[in-house]
Amino acid sequence: MPEYAGVVKAKGAVGGPQPSLAARFRTSVRKYWFIYLLAIPGLVFLLVFSYAPMYGVVLAFKDFKMNKGIMGSPWVGLAHYRELFSDPAFIQAFKNTVIINIYNLIFGFTFNVFLALMINEVQCKPLKSVVQTCVYLPYFLSWVIFAGLVQVFLQAPVPGDVGGVVNQVIMSLGGEPIDFMKRPDLFRGILVVTNIIKTAGYSTIIYLAAVASVDLSLYEAAAMDGANRRDMMFHITLPRIMPSVAVMFLLNISQLFLSNFDQVYNLYNNFVLSTGDVLSTYIYRISLGGGGEFEISTAANLLLNVMGLIALAFTNRFVKKMDVMGIF
Amino acid sequence: MDKTVSYPKHPRKTMVQVLGFNFYDVFVIAFCVLFALICFYPMWYVLIASVTPYEEFVKGGALLWPNGGVDFQYYKMIFENSSFVNSLWISASKTVIGTFLSVLVTSTMAYAVSKEHVPGMKLLNVLTVFTMFFAGGLIPTYILYVNMGLLRTYWVMVLPYGLSITYFIIMRNYFSYSVSKELEDAARIDGCNDVRVFFQVILPLSKPMLAAVGLFIAVGFWNDYYSYMMYIATKPNLQPFAWVLRRVLTDSAMMSQMRTGAVDIGAQLPPPMALRMATIICAMVPIMCVYPFLQRHFAKGVLIGAVKE
Repeated sequence: MPEYAGVVKAKGAVGGPQPSLAARFRTSVRKYWFIYLLAIPGLVFLLVFSYAPMYGVVLAFKDFKMNKGIMGSPWVGLAHYRELFSDPAFIQAFKNTVIINIYNLIFGFTFNVFLALMINEVQCKPLKSVVQTCVYLPYFLSWVIFAGLVQVFLQAPVPGDVGGVVNQVIMSLGGEPIDFMKRPDLFRGILVVTNIIKTAGYSTIIYLAAVASVDLSLYEAAAMDGANRRDMMFHITLPRIMPSVAVMFLLNISQLFLSNFDQVYNLYNNFVLSTGDVLSTYIYRISLGGGGEFEISTAANLLLNVMGLIALAFTNRFVKKMDVMGIF
Repeated sequence: MDKTVSYPKHPRKTMVQVLGFNFYDVFVIAFCVLFALICFYPMWYVLIASVTPYEEFVKGGALLWPNGGVDFQYYKMIFENSSFVNSLWISASKTVIGTFLSVLVTSTMAYAVSKEHVPGMKLLNVLTVFTMFFAGGLIPTYILYVNMGLLRTYWVMVLPYGLSITYFIIMRNYFSYSVSKELEDAARIDGCNDVRVFFQVILPLSKPMLAAVGLFIAVGFWNDYYSYMMYIATKPNLQPFAWVLRRVLTDSAMMSQMRTGAVDIGAQLPPPMALRMATIICAMVPIMCVYPFLQRHFAKGVLIGAVKE
């Protein structure tokens, strides 16, 4: 904080009655008018596009009539929640979301840390940059493109068309072709693996940055003591990136109820609905996606938000203690 | 100074090290190369398959290299489809307008909020970040757009993204931690007011950051089909390219229309697989063109938001 700000505060603290809130506001507007001016466009967008829709969550407790608007529609209490919880599709979507997130946490998260350590261990610099270029690349492709790639790759052979590469390999090894995209038992696995391929490179960046800040003399001292490179990785590099790992882990836990609409919506189909339907696709399907259940969709969304906030508040208490991320 | 970690050599050399061979290194390199190939090969395969003549492709021979010559017939089919060309225009224009708007609105607000000593800015910060975790949701947003008259207009694909919360956080942290405080203070001592500090010190200093964030925002606009799907849906002349791509990849009606339309050009009905691949390549080209720049700013772009210096 620049010094003059401290001076202002000190002046305010010196004796006499405190000026009223309005008076203080006028003073600071006069003093910092340009800063306030810069904040105004953003504030307008924030109020219009983020806060104005929040009022609409009361729909979760109302019987919405288009002609009466949100205000005029009658209250129905918790009726929509009763309906929501008696919908087996919602319960299934809820389960799927949590299960897929736990899989992502167990496999995806571990893989990311491992990949970062491995990339860091590559000594040949040109090779390292080639590897990094390749693994960052999928992050920039949209899920539409990436899901297209996945489907092309996993496609089952049909008359007049050879199957995808994976099935060609399976058949050349003498196996039966598998119609991956129509197998409910394989769908969660496909989600986890495609998520790893698409985002692992991106996730390594934060760990690689933490590694770059490790004091090189630590490695020199360890080498003097006869440590080999693997020892150094486990006893120097890994402990040093642990704070970042912990923060990322907590952030991931706080997103336990969130689901990747883009990924699932572009990959799933009616065959895999039982294991692949997640909350965000459920909310879309029952409302704008053809269902027309506007109030239940809003009710589900509100529930999801509140659970997300609780999870966030819970994990944020731990994150606060680690001075790594600057979200707030 | 070079910042990558390099380990000092082990003082006592074992036999394998003398031979320049180390199982640990082999494992590390094999793992990294394998994963890099997994990330890269799908794109290479699709590129190869999209230019391989059909007869060759059916034999399953085109896995690594385009056997039997290069054939651009599928690309011709795509560019003869008028909805493609129109959607490219829509995507390009909303990307340019949206990126400009978003960088302007987000960066000015991020700079204002980075001035924590100004009364009200801490509150504004909390209010902004809060919306990352709590939103009205699909239906309330839809109803709001109906009331605002935004529904089924071009602007519904641009305006709602005016303030990007993710990039707001990154830019705010950049202004708080990475812009040299000494330079700013020096300018103030020389008699600069807030206005001159912003335009003559902060803006020139932040150009690389604004360019980097702008690129990321632009990729976001280019890839966005969600706003069309949710809030327009029924106006074919407003379809962005990402949406046309999605339809080609998933909608069999669109696919068969393209295939039968193509019969006039070539003799035989083209396989849907190959057409899909050519479309995927078309969608990837713009991203590939900016990828070198993206990658250069990538590590930086993520870091300025995440690590306190």
